[in-house]
Amino acid sequence: MRKLTTKKGSSSGISTIISLSLVLFVVGLLAFILINANKVSNKMKESIVFTIMLQDNSDEIKAEFESYLTSSNYFKEVLYTDKKTAYNNLKKDLGEDFSSVLENNPLFDAYDAYVNAKFVTTQGLTEIESFIHEFGGGSIVQDIFYQKNLVEKLNDNVRKISLFLLTFCVVFFLISFALINNTIRLAIYSKRLLIRTMRLVGATNMFIQKPYLISSLYQGVFSSILAIFMLIGSLETLKQQIPDFIQTNDFIEIAFIFGLLLIFGIIISWISTFFAVRRYLNLNENELYN
Amino acid sequence: MNNPIISINNLHISYNENVILKNINLNINKGDFIYFIGETGSGKSSLLKSLYKGVDISEGTISVGEFNLNTIKKNKIAYLRRELGIIFQDFQLLSDRNIYKNLDFVLRSTGWKDKHKIKNRIIEVLETVHLTNVEKKMPYELSGGEQQRVSIARALLNHPKIILADEPTGNLDPEKSNSIIETMKEINLNGTTVVIATHDYSIIKTFPSTTYQFENKEIKEVAIS
Repeated sequence: MRKLTTKKGSSSGISTIISLSLVLFVVGLLAFILINANKVSNKMKESIVFTIMLQDNSDEIKAEFESYLTSSNYFKEVLYTDKKTAYNNLKKDLGEDFSSVLENNPLFDAYDAYVNAKFVTTQGLTEIESFIHEFGGGSIVQDIFYQKNLVEKLNDNVRKISLFLLTFCVVFFLISFALINNTIRLAIYSKRLLIRTMRLVGATNMFIQKPYLISSLYQGVFSSILAIFMLIGSLETLKQQIPDFIQTNDFIEIAFIFGLLLIFGIIISWISTFFAVRRYLNLNENELYN
Repeated sequence: MNNPIISINNLHISYNENVILKNINLNINKGDFIYFIGETGSGKSSLLKSLYKGVDISEGTISVGEFNLNTIKKNKIAYLRRELGIIFQDFQLLSDRNIYKNLDFVLRSTGWKDKHKIKNRIIEVLETVHLTNVEKKMPYELSGGEQQRVSIARALLNHPKIILADEPTGNLDPEKSNSIIETMKEINLNGTTVVIATHDYSIIKTFPSTTYQFENKEIKEVAIS
C-alpha cells in the first residue's frame, strides 16, 4: 500500500506530462487553424470571378486587352474563352443544339478574370470594374458580370468567422493556461508535505525550488514534443481528408507553430511550478492543512 | 546565572481569533531536558511551532539562540532551523527517497558539499541512534520505531543546539517509546538542549526531568511522580 503511494510521485509526473501535452496539442491545432484561416479565406475570395464579355474586335486588340488585364495587380488568373468554345460549352451543358433556331452565335468572346484576394472588397471590385471599362474608352467591353452580393456576404462571413476564431483562440489560450496551471498545482499540492519537511530541516527556498523548476523544464519539453507528434499525426490525417483546406507545405509556418508550442510548454510549466512551489514555501504550519 | 538559549516573554498565540496560549513566560537554558505536557489542543505543538517560526506570534517576544523571532527576516528562517533539530510524531521523512538520500538532502541543503564527509556524517548519526544497514531502505520499509530513529538522526546531522520533539513517541509502543527517549537523553548528555511535547505521563515518570504543564491556555512547572 505504502509502496503504491511512493509510486504516485512518478505517475503524477507522467500524468502531468500527458495533461500538458493534450492541452498543448489543442493549442497547436488552434494556432494552425488560426494561421490557415487566412489562407482558407483567401482561397474562397480568389474564387470570385469577373466575366468580361467583349464586343467583336480584332485579335490584336484582344491581345492588348489581355495584356492590360494580366499586367495589373488586380487579377490572379485571366482565362480567355472565344465565343465558339462558349457556344460548344453551352450546347454541352444544355444537351441541346439550338443552331437550327438561331442563325448566328449570340454569345461573346469573354475573359474570366480571377480577382486577387486583397481586392475582394466592395470598394476594390468597383475599382476593378472601372479599370476594365477604362480600356479603349469603353468601346471594347460589352458587359461585365460578377456576383456582387456574394462578395459582400463572403466578406461579412469571413470577418465574423475571423473574429470568432480569434476570440475562441484567446479564450482557449486562457483556459489552457488555467488547465495547465491547475494540473501542476495539483501535482505540487501532493508534495506539499515533502516541501514542508524540506523547509523544516533548514533548506533555503531556492534549494527546495531548484529541482522542481528543473523537472518542470523537462516536463515542458517532453509535453511539447508529445504535442508536436500528435499535431503532425492529426494534420496528416486532416490533409488526407480535406486537402484543399489543410496546407502543410509551408515549412517556416510549421516550424513557427512547433517552436511556439515548445516555448509555450516550457514557459507555462516553469511559471506554474514556480508559483505553486512558492505558495507552499510561504505557508505557515497551520495554513498548510487548510 | 545561565544565559537562556530559549527566551519567551509575554507570549500570546492565537489562530483565527482563537486564543491558543496567553501570557507565556519561559526561559530554557543550554543543556536542559524539558517536557511540555498537556492534553491534545492545549497548545504544546503551537508553542513548539512558534519556536521554529512555523506560526506567527500574536504578541510577546521569543528569542532562540541568536535569533530574535519577532524581527527575523523570511530568508533567515532557514538558518534558524539549521540550529534546531525538529522531530515529529509522524516522522515526516521524505517518502520519495531512501534513508541515505533523506539524510543527504539535509546536509546538501545546509551547505555540505564533500561526498566523503557527507557519507561519514550520515554513518555517524545513524550509529548514534543505533541504526545499521538502513541506508538503502525506503522509509516505508522501516518500522515506526526505526523511522523515528532516522528522524532523530536527521535532526542531529548539523549538530543542533536544540532538539524540538513534537510527540516523538505518539506512534510507538511503550518499549520503543522508552528506547527513543533514552536515545534523546544520551544526546542531551552531550549538551544539546531537548524540548519534548508529549501527553504520555509514563515516559516522564520513567525519565523524569523539568516538566511544564499546559492547561487553560497557560503553562506552569509541575512535578510528575
